[in-house]
Amino acid sequence: MGDERSLFVQERHIKGGGKMAKKITIDPVTRIEGHLKIVVEVENGKVKDAWSSGTMARGFEAMLIGKDPRDASFVTSRFCGVCYSVHQLASARALDEAFGAKVPWGGNLIRNLVMGAEYVYDHLIHFYQLSALDYIDVMAIANYSGMDKDLLAVKDKIVGLVKTKDTYPLTPRYEPDEFTVKDPDMVIMAVKHYIDALKIHAEARNMGAIWGGRTPHYQNIVVGGVTSYPDINQVTRFRTMLDEQAKFVNEVYIPDVLSFGTGPLWPLAEMGLGGGHYNYLSYGDFQKDPAGKELIFPAGVIMGLNPAGIKVDPVDTKKITESVKYSWYRENKPVHPYNGEQVFNLDKKDAYTFVKAPRYDRKAMEVGPLARMLVAKHPDVLGLVGKGARPGAVVRHAARAIETKLIVDACYDWLDHLLTEMTKPGFKIHDTEHWDPPESGMGAGFHEAPRGALGHWIKIKNKKIDNYQAVVPSTWNASPRDEKEVRGQYEESLIGAPVPDPDNPINVVRVIRSFDPCLACAIHIIDPHTNEIKKFLIE
Amino acid sequence: MSKTNASSALNSKGGDDISPQKIVILGVGNLLLSDEGVGVHAANELMKMELPPEVTVVEGGTDGFGLLNIITEADRLIVIDAVKGGGAPGSIYRFYIDEVQSCPSGFKTSVHQIGILEVISLSGLIGKTPHTTVIGIEPKSLEMSMELSPEVKAKIPRIIELIFDELKIKNLTWSVSKIQEGI
Repeated sequence: MGDERSLFVQERHIKGGGKMAKKITIDPVTRIEGHLKIVVEVENGKVKDAWSSGTMARGFEAMLIGKDPRDASFVTSRFCGVCYSVHQLASARALDEAFGAKVPWGGNLIRNLVMGAEYVYDHLIHFYQLSALDYIDVMAIANYSGMDKDLLAVKDKIVGLVKTKDTYPLTPRYEPDEFTVKDPDMVIMAVKHYIDALKIHAEARNMGAIWGGRTPHYQNIVVGGVTSYPDINQVTRFRTMLDEQAKFVNEVYIPDVLSFGTGPLWPLAEMGLGGGHYNYLSYGDFQKDPAGKELIFPAGVIMGLNPAGIKVDPVDTKKITESVKYSWYRENKPVHPYNGEQVFNLDKKDAYTFVKAPRYDRKAMEVGPLARMLVAKHPDVLGLVGKGARPGAVVRHAARAIETKLIVDACYDWLDHLLTEMTKPGFKIHDTEHWDPPESGMGAGFHEAPRGALGHWIKIKNKKIDNYQAVVPSTWNASPRDEKEVRGQYEESLIGAPVPDPDNPINVVRVIRSFDPCLACAIHIIDPHTNEIKKFLIE
Repeated sequence: MSKTNASSALNSKGGDDISPQKIVILGVGNLLLSDEGVGVHAANELMKMELPPEVTVVEGGTDGFGLLNIITEADRLIVIDAVKGGGAPGSIYRFYIDEVQSCPSGFKTSVHQIGILEVISLSGLIGKTPHTTVIGIEPKSLEMSMELSPEVKAKIPRIIELIFDELKIKNLTWSVSKIQEGI
């Protein structure tokens, strides 16, 4: 077995107040999308301070300036190889506002269905492929003594991988600790579901392609709606595939998350590992009806969560600013995204990340499934909190599973609505009256992406893009300190995390991975860090 | 079976089903970072050509896990990607995926944490791992741009030729020269 610490952890001793504190650097954090470095200072077995660094530059917005505004949906969908459709949608919504386009209900339904498939895909990968290994000791499989044929096949597969030393994706990893599930029956079932999930979410990508025309990088979402009329076969195919996804979500994913969360991981839930600032933001998304009176995910802001009486305030997006004091950008006061800029300064003193620091009303916020489910006051999440779980890594996983079910259920409703719409005379999916760019204008597009609140802001002048900014979910969560020295949400959520063995900071990666980080996963080069590749040079 | 070529259909006897291998040519990379997108540019060129029915060309962008649906459907996979191997810009590398898995401290901790090679390796867990060849091109520029550098752009026809050579080894019957006329 490879060992995560031998690969990535560097340590150094630092002196602080006469006591020895230990600084641990985890670079890169593995099993996330993109590139992230986390530094923690550990004292008396607990994290005392933390720094989160996005180590890859992301400044794609600059290349949009001067382009036809309609190009934005296409170009921004290439920001990221994982979450392309979310950018396409947020961008189209920013253009909808700037162009004055009114998306017909039919167009909105198809947009929603594309995102429905995206949610199932993202959340299943996050739980099984990216997170589960933080909580189970895969090697316990060797001790499975049951006779279940399917499970024995899983055991053979994993033992086979270990024997041939081809242990990706099980390694690199940290050593199991006292919270790690080691019961062979539970572990082997989890690994079986890990393998099953691979098949299910591969199919979810094909579901998105029913509407998106291709996979990856769907093509159908544009300003004013979507590009192609649905036919009955598409609706039927989507529904058949959705049945299989729904079955997995209801019968495997949710039971797994709940049995782990309320079982062996309950001590981590009670401890509230990975809590943070307890400030939450959801822009709200997914209309239930043509007028948008009700949303699947309501909009709202919670400042300083009080579980006994959750106070949700309305969102005012004018209160969003981005600070760059600790980011490798030219010095600037905190500004609203409409006025944001992308000018790098790599020599800036004290800067430690390419991620800016978005703030709402000058406060650091958490975005994502936990924020959405708390803003929605979802009874199942509040039920966990009522039983003594503190919002943190474990409740975050639960919130993600619960909202996956909400989305799956909503997909059935959207299909029914779509069928009704399709039979109406004059059925429309696109506002063709507003296809041409306005002489000038501005617009904001908001979307609750699987990872959280996503916003795109555009300014148009002479029918061309004059400025463009995207504030993505992981920017909120992974942000550095701001001009008032307030930590970002990852940083704050690490404070107090137990690290009894500095060589094995497994709780640090549990916290970080619970947010489902996605940082500038926009690069795809094969970079082997070895000279071996030279022998394959052919010309 | 309608797409099997005539000679093999004639030679086949009842029950002797020769279904053609499914070949996928997958170009990956980021279109916004100049030479990082070479795989995407090459795939887009290939899509303009008339190819045998068993060959599918996919432009994979920078997706990772999301390519699993495509990879698991292939018997034979050719990946076109930018590769940093230390050669001169435009250098071409070719290797089978099994060759690099034995590289010490090789690809498994590459820049993007869940990359194409990791996903190919995962496909083995849910079925077969396709026989995979990587055609890699040394990039010159990774600057933000939707254009390739001249050095890399000039290599696109050669990359396509190499892919056709590679597939010909498997005794696939179609006219390479006919396709090359189209470039």
